[in-house]
Amino acid sequence: MAAAVAMETDDAGNRLRFQLELEFVQCLANPNYLNFLAQRGYFKDKAFVNYLKYLLYWKEPEYAKYLKYPQCLHMLELLQYEHFRKELVNAQCAKFIDEQQILHWQHYSRKRMRLQQALAEQQQQNHAAGK
Amino acid sequence: MAAASGAEKEKERPGVGGGGWGSGAGAAGGNSTRERLLSALEDLEVLSRELIEMLAISRNQKLLPPDEENQVLELLIHRDGEFQELMKLALNQGKIHHEMHVLEKEVEKRDSDIQQLQKQLKEAEQILATAVYQAKEKLKSIEKARKGAISSEEIIKYAHRISASNAVCAPLTWVPGDPRRPYPTDLEMRSGLLGQMNNPSTNGVNGHLPGDALAAGRLPDVLASQYPWQSNDMSMNMLPPNHSNDFLLEPPGHNKENEDDVEVMSTDSSSSSSDSD
Repeated sequence: MAAAVAMETDDAGNRLRFQLELEFVQCLANPNYLNFLAQRGYFKDKAFVNYLKYLLYWKEPEYAKYLKYPQCLHMLELLQYEHFRKELVNAQCAKFIDEQQILHWQHYSRKRMRLQQALAEQQQQNHAAGK
Repeated sequence: MAAASGAEKEKERPGVGGGGWGSGAGAAGGNSTRERLLSALEDLEVLSRELIEMLAISRNQKLLPPDEENQVLELLIHRDGEFQELMKLALNQGKIHHEMHVLEKEVEKRDSDIQQLQKQLKEAEQILATAVYQAKEKLKSIEKARKGAISSEEIIKYAHRISASNAVCAPLTWVPGDPRRPYPTDLEMRSGLLGQMNNPSTNGVNGHLPGDALAAGRLPDVLASQYPWQSNDMSMNMLPPNHSNDFLLEPPGHNKENEDDVEVMSTDSSSSSSDSD
């Protein structure tokens, strides 16, 4: 514990820990990684579960602004539930989550395409009407 | 006599009314004005009958005790005097009763005014209480909003950062074979700080992040001396398990100073080798 205390007050140590935890929490957005962790029994380790709970500090705005993949926060919240952790052992579960994530990811591009199509149709109509 | 008794009867009626109130005021039964008036009347009746009998007898007989006549007459006069006084008393009592009645009416009126005022005050109090409550709620929500206030510039910066790298929105040219994903991929995870910690020999991979490469080169020494919670059986992508004592207990508060210094580095390293950058 003395070493841990020394670590707390060490500047470079803090920065490193910050980076590490930042990277790790964002890795949680990857459902394949979660499946990997589940299959190796990490979710059964109480210390690990406590660590996940500790990582919830990334939800605060002053920390969240450093996240590049904000989906990780949602996964983190889900990981707090035992049932979810158990489910993640199945590869199908991970695959399903992956597919849904990718589909959601494409939401805005789809919307934009639809808008463009609608606009194009409208222009065509205007042209036809004009002529 | 009939006229006299008729006059007495007339006097009796208002007297009875006044006497009735007198009986309400005077507690003891025999002392009420009404009863006194009635008894006075009875005496007068008896006395006047006696007188009449005596006069009738004296018409038949010459022998007559003169004193008795006088006595009866005196008694009669005395009784009559009493009666007159009682009548006056009854009249006064009637007046007083009337005044009492008027005052009572006045009191009732004032009472109803007070009740009216009370109702209005209660209504006013309720309205004010509602207004105060709503104002307090408003203040609470203002406070809440102010607490969560974030500068719009920061939000725009953040929005730009997460969209520019396609982290939350798919690139427009994305097709199912594209390796890019909304989460850090295997490759990115391995070339990030976490992955580099386990491969101290592979420094220089992230050419465009000199800071990371240096850190990767230096890491093992730094870690060995300061982080007892590192263990050695790590494979790729694993978080260095913390010393179990630390996380079996409730995790202590952490210090996150110098985040501003770290900002640039960390955002770059979290998206370490993202392809679009």
